[in-house]
Amino acid sequence: MGLIKKLPVYAESMPGGSLVLTSVEAILNHGRSKSLWYLLFGTACCAIELMCTGASRYDFDRLGMIFRPTPRQADLIIAAGTITKKMAPRLRRLYDQMAEPRYVIAMGGCTIKGGPFYYDSYAVEKGIDHIIPVDIYIPGCPPRPESLLEGCIHLQEKIRKERLRDWQEK
Amino acid sequence: MTKEELAAYIQEKYGEKLTPLESGRYDLLYEVSKDNLLDVAQSLKDDENLQFDFLCNLLGADTKEHFEVIYNIASIYKNLRLDLKVILPYDAAEIESVQKIWPAANWYEREMWEMYGIEVKNHNDLKLLLLPDDWDQGFPMRKDWDAPDFVRLPEVD
Repeated sequence: MGLIKKLPVYAESMPGGSLVLTSVEAILNHGRSKSLWYLLFGTACCAIELMCTGASRYDFDRLGMIFRPTPRQADLIIAAGTITKKMAPRLRRLYDQMAEPRYVIAMGGCTIKGGPFYYDSYAVEKGIDHIIPVDIYIPGCPPRPESLLEGCIHLQEKIRKERLRDWQEK
Repeated sequence: MTKEELAAYIQEKYGEKLTPLESGRYDLLYEVSKDNLLDVAQSLKDDENLQFDFLCNLLGADTKEHFEVIYNIASIYKNLRLDLKVILPYDAAEIESVQKIWPAANWYEREMWEMYGIEVKNHNDLKLLLLPDDWDQGFPMRKDWDAPDFVRLPEVD
């Protein structure tokens, strides 16, 4: 009954089972937030923390997050690491190839504002929000796995608050 | 052959073409003129006692007065190392390719060309190596380079 406690539902016990009423929106958002399959996009040291978070000590699977090597099966792209100007079109293409609804986490200082490469660099893109829309920014250089998990939990909350109407308008 | 012996040998045999420069505890450093570069490089490679057959590194530099091209060469057989430096004025930034002598120079020269705009003559494949294919913002490693989103580190006392 764990799920039913968390959702806005009406449950009626009946002989031989029970009847549950809820909204499509609630059940859809719940499903989306609990199965965020993320695209591996590790370009620098943040990817090491991402791997660590995916491994057994921190265990991304607890949030229903499983890595996918292809954008076609991914809901979320975690941009982990420095994005150079040469890499930017590739990131954009991977994002475009993902099916909606899709989310973006900018992990680490480099993806937020260029990080340590903000000054004196001709090659580094100063923030990936120039390229793709970002949902969650996680600062740090690189962020610890706890920060990444926190960011993902925030993203889940954001997804749960979404309205189907918003998607229609997009 | 020790470093001192190498210095004496070079002084004796290449004294007129190579000018020694201060290099401290690092490898021996010599200045060579642009016109003598190919001759000197070929004879350093062919010399029985030296056999400088390995180009470790080739780099450009912008000193705000002139360009420099630096060749770090080594001899595998004789266990020797040597640096050559060519000084190029800003208005004549072009140099002969050394890839006939050391084929490894190919990519180094491409990088130097795209980063500093030092023209490399007789290079067989002079095109962008590291910069994006549609790059049109000039030569980013030059000291006076600027671009719309380029932020220079503020001077700190």
